[in-house]
Amino acid sequence: MGKDWQVHAVPSIVANETPAPQTIVIRGRSVLALVIAPQWPLDTWLAALDAQTERSANLFEQRPVVVNLGAAPQGERGPAAALEALVALSARGIKVIGVEGIDPLLMGQTRWSRLPVIPPGRETIREEAPREEGAGMAPVASAPAAPVASLLIERPVRSGQSIVFDQGDIIVIGAVSSGAEVVAGGSIHVYGPLRGRAIAGLTVGAAARIFCRKLEAEMVAVDGRYRTAEHWGPDLHGRAVQVRRDKDVLRISVLD
Amino acid sequence: MSLLNFFRRNRSAPVARDRLQVLLAHERALSGRTDLAKVLQQEILAVIAKHIAIDHDKVIIKLDRGSQVSTLEIDIEIPEATLGAAMVRSAAS
Amino acid sequence: MSKVMVVTSGKGGVGKTTSAAALGAALAQAGQNVVVVDFDVGLRNLDLIMGAERRVVFDLVNVVQGDAKLPQALIRDRRVDKLHLLPASQTRDKDALTEPGVGKVIDELREQFDWIICDSPAGIEKGATLAMRFADVAVVVTNPEVSSVRDSDRIIGLLDAKTARAERGETMEKHLLLTRYDAARAARGEMMKVEDVLEILAIPLLGIVAESPDVLTASNVGCPITLHNPASVVARAYDEAARRLLGETIVVTTPSERRSLMSRLFGRRAALA
Repeated sequence: MGKDWQVHAVPSIVANETPAPQTIVIRGRSVLALVIAPQWPLDTWLAALDAQTERSANLFEQRPVVVNLGAAPQGERGPAAALEALVALSARGIKVIGVEGIDPLLMGQTRWSRLPVIPPGRETIREEAPREEGAGMAPVASAPAAPVASLLIERPVRSGQSIVFDQGDIIVIGAVSSGAEVVAGGSIHVYGPLRGRAIAGLTVGAAARIFCRKLEAEMVAVDGRYRTAEHWGPDLHGRAVQVRRDKDVLRISVLD
Repeated sequence: MSLLNFFRRNRSAPVARDRLQVLLAHERALSGRTDLAKVLQQEILAVIAKHIAIDHDKVIIKLDRGSQVSTLEIDIEIPEATLGAAMVRSAAS
Repeated sequence: MSKVMVVTSGKGGVGKTTSAAALGAALAQAGQNVVVVDFDVGLRNLDLIMGAERRVVFDLVNVVQGDAKLPQALIRDRRVDKLHLLPASQTRDKDALTEPGVGKVIDELREQFDWIICDSPAGIEKGATLAMRFADVAVVVTNPEVSSVRDSDRIIGLLDAKTARAERGETMEKHLLLTRYDAARAARGEMMKVEDVLEILAIPLLGIVAESPDVLTASNVGCPITLHNPASVVARAYDEAARRLLGETIVVTTPSERRSLMSRLFGRRAALA
């Protein structure tokens, strides 16, 4: 008995006369932006901001910033005051990429209308390819994964380096230098001196904590609340601490 | 430190000044235009290459810029065989 | 086996070029075949420090771009014949130096020399990243002063990330050279302590070089300090550092405030004209 031969008909591809339409791929991307909220009287607030940047020169360097204009005076003076704040911030080289806390209509009539007004609430940005006829691309959606992973770094994090790991905790065995930053979806553990910036809780929110052997940081932040060195004073400086968010404040407590 | 050292004046600053004057005089004269030394070197090599095949790896250029006089020295290693052949050719022509 | 060594710092004015020339001369005197390469683009300095400024015909850019061959650009030192210099270009074209071009020159230099010392410009732009790109060893020159330490830390981060070795997953030997150390100011607490700098930068210490007027003198006359004034404190520090690079174990001593009998009698020496 002979073998059965299965014949698969291979469809021939007929060349199109007209080229397929160009597909535009739009992706979402999450970046870490700092949100700052000017207070009025503006001069006082700007003076405090200048003092802050003098102490931590890299605080806003190359960092996209969203300005919360919620504190701008209401009424007629409102838009003018808000614009004054934006002008002052731009003049200081701060890279404003958007605003929040203000009526989009008010912004639309000014030269700042190009700035997106970010709606309130946390945004999760997904990556998606558009469904096009015959494009042959399956939509790719990445939802934020539950944080179980941890990133282990076994050498110092040097000035200018930025470690971002939004899927979980970051553990550093070594120092985090002044001018360096560590950004985690979960908690941050530094088995060494923390001299740069630690930003925790991008994904897990207020459950995140920051631990370090020696607090000499430029800034610590958990779920959006931040503190800089001037806030915690000489008593905590140089100590082994844990940083956690307690309702609306950041608590720093000594470990040993 | 010996007594002599202490009282000997350190004369290094005038040396620095002289070096800079010579150097900057040359650099200002150049600014933008090609260095004469380079041009000379290229043209001299081109002339020699018309008569003898030269390996550019075997060409060493030495330059010493002075305040009054500059010296340009071009050393070319030419194997005996090549030189002999060239001399025979020129004798024949 | 040839070694490519980058002398870098991030911050300007801390003593990279002085150190590159001094270490190069010391290594050459120890019998090594050395070439010092100036990686600045547009500002030539190494040739001045080495006293070869009047003899520069071709430079690194000329060799990379093929205008000249390497033997034509190399300048042999008149005092130590195992010491050579490859000068920098005065061009304003920032893109004149390319990575593959420089790589080829480095490979060619490896055939001829035991040590290829790359004198890096300040900053973290192209000249600096190219100077470190092909290095096997790095000497990070730092002053005991906050912004120098911060910049050195940045540079160390780049050495661990942006070099060919780092990209191949190999470690680069890094050494800290602390320069312009002023014992008197350190004693008064005005200057960062050596231990603090080491704690922050966390790389092994190659040597401590004291602040000294001898450095200015040497560069005024165009001679690396290890050749010009070998008995000076600075020259001896560099000489020891060079020997450590060659594998010798010598304990690093912190320069102490040393005042000669004369200066104790007559007060500090007046600034030299």
